[in-house]
Amino acid sequence: MQGFLGVDVGSVSTNLAMLDADGGVISYVYLRTQGQPIMAVQQGLMELEAKLDGSVDVIGVGTTGSARYLTSVVVGGDIVKNEITAHAVAAGHVVPGVRVVLEIGGQDSKIIFLRDGIVVDFAMNTVCAAGTGSFLDHQSARLGIPIEDFGRYALGAEKGALIAGRCSVFAESDMVHKQQVGYKLEEIIYGLCQALVRNYLNNLAKGRDLAGPIAFQGGVAANAGMKKAFEEAINQEVQVPEHFSVMGAIGAALLAKEEKLLEPGPSAFKGFGAAKIDYRTSSFACGGCENNCEIIKIVVDDETLARWGGRCGKWEVDIIRRQHLEPIGADCSKCG
Amino acid sequence: MTDGFKVGYPQALLYYKYFPLWETFFNRLGVEVVLSGPTNKALLNLGTVEAENELCLPVKVFYGHLLALADKVDAIFIPRMVSVEKSAYTCPKFMGLPDMARATETRLPPIMDPTINWKLGWRQYVKTIIELGSQFTDNKAKILGAYHAGVQSLHQYQDKIRAGATPIDIIESKEAPRAGVADLRIGLAGHPYNIYDKYISMNLIKRLREMGTDVVTAEMIPHSELEKESQTLPKHLFWTFEREVVGTVFHWSRRNSVDGIIYVLAFPCGPDSLIQSLLEHEMRRERSTVPMMSLVIDEHSAEGGFLTRIEAFVDMLSRKKKLAGRVAN
Repeated sequence: MQGFLGVDVGSVSTNLAMLDADGGVISYVYLRTQGQPIMAVQQGLMELEAKLDGSVDVIGVGTTGSARYLTSVVVGGDIVKNEITAHAVAAGHVVPGVRVVLEIGGQDSKIIFLRDGIVVDFAMNTVCAAGTGSFLDHQSARLGIPIEDFGRYALGAEKGALIAGRCSVFAESDMVHKQQVGYKLEEIIYGLCQALVRNYLNNLAKGRDLAGPIAFQGGVAANAGMKKAFEEAINQEVQVPEHFSVMGAIGAALLAKEEKLLEPGPSAFKGFGAAKIDYRTSSFACGGCENNCEIIKIVVDDETLARWGGRCGKWEVDIIRRQHLEPIGADCSKCG
Repeated sequence: MTDGFKVGYPQALLYYKYFPLWETFFNRLGVEVVLSGPTNKALLNLGTVEAENELCLPVKVFYGHLLALADKVDAIFIPRMVSVEKSAYTCPKFMGLPDMARATETRLPPIMDPTINWKLGWRQYVKTIIELGSQFTDNKAKILGAYHAGVQSLHQYQDKIRAGATPIDIIESKEAPRAGVADLRIGLAGHPYNIYDKYISMNLIKRLREMGTDVVTAEMIPHSELEKESQTLPKHLFWTFEREVVGTVFHWSRRNSVDGIIYVLAFPCGPDSLIQSLLEHEMRRERSTVPMMSLVIDEHSAEGGFLTRIEAFVDMLSRKKKLAGRVAN
């Protein structure tokens, strides 16, 4: 069977999805990135290989997520796309006629508006990561309740405690206060969900028209309390797709499929053996001008596979695609 | 006193708007103008350390440029820009800029701070220019001649921008890319010192062009046009530069003349934050179909998140256009 691989490496989770030629999910893997994207991708490849057991011939690979360029070098990607496009494409594929995508990930959150399967508008959280998955993670550790149980607790509350969601620091002190005055844990957890939803709608939706169908995806969609809080706040049904946690990877695989339709040819995929390659990364400060850019290098057996990080582009190289990106100018002082 | 006299001109804030005027003016009076150079990491760090924490990013950048000039020149030119037109003011930071510069811990050369205030009328303005020039010559005709030449330089510069070059293209004396060759046209709104500073905008214009888009900015639209568009607001906006941003965005959105608008704003700029919600609100009210994305920059901005947003925005516009093409065929 032929398949398309999508890999989404974010700040918190690393997801891989294998799709068949019709875009159906054959198999997927969801892992924690734990600050080591290369290892996470390799671990994911091994797990996926074990699940597929040689039944799939990979003919296209797409990568997305904040480590999309790095991941593309590691696995051999045919297309690199940002996570907004990937999530939108996946939602459009899975949820018929979807018009709004609510996505909350580890360190960012986005809202995407679609018409006829095409993104017409989107918004992403700005400098502040308040109200994203890592905040929930942090609270679960503090309360000593596994994040997987958050939803169950939240649904056990009749009403939520009122918690300030503007800022994670304030939200936390508010929660501590509510605990001390005797609110039940369930009410506090549901109150937290409501606060995150309020924050999300204020910062991202900003009064835009939320006409359904609405899809809610990303790791945080696992929390049934969040779904309920969304539905209460916008007074509409919110659908959580079956593979909500790996929608980015599904989108990347669909984009790889689209790419291969447009430009047929062999895939750059390195094979599942890429899990065993000893990738080494190192960094150094350029020193060519006052910007002192930090340059990242990915090396295998003394061969530099990729290098990036500079502002002027003089170090940028992507050997896999045999590309040397055009520098702004040889004169480093022109950086900036 | 003009022999070998050097005036420092910080390459920040209103530099991008007015520098040809002042450069020519000083040169005609036999004064050498020394620029602080493009913003870089070292300058930004210098400025961030020196400046009050609550100042906006562009002013912090300005401090960096100021300090870079400190021991290189005989005086630093920081005009007190109170008002550049009869009916409006500039942001309060511009009015207090020379004072803020004097308050730095670092010792600076004398600061030349003529007060530019069009609210006081043209007679007062001429007096100010003559006062400024009198430091170098007693010949009033020469001063006015130098100013006139400055205005001509400014007009030439503005003409080049209207023809499609950005201030960066002109400063680096590069050819402007041919307009109209790209599939997509993006309107880049925001203060010139945010969008044209290659360092703090993370090279946004170049990146957008590399993604195959044409970039247009406020300075490419006739000023009277911006004025007319911003007049449609229920209340007159009393900050000149913010009114220009509003006029620009309306100009594009009401004519559908760009595929998308990117509004770059600096953290924590007060006027920008007001304008941002005003624009979002008005565009929704007018049912504009031109998408607008706001990009907030500050000194901690990570390039990754910035790139993701730009890529996603350009992707959205090009996929939309492709689909529209498919439907039309």
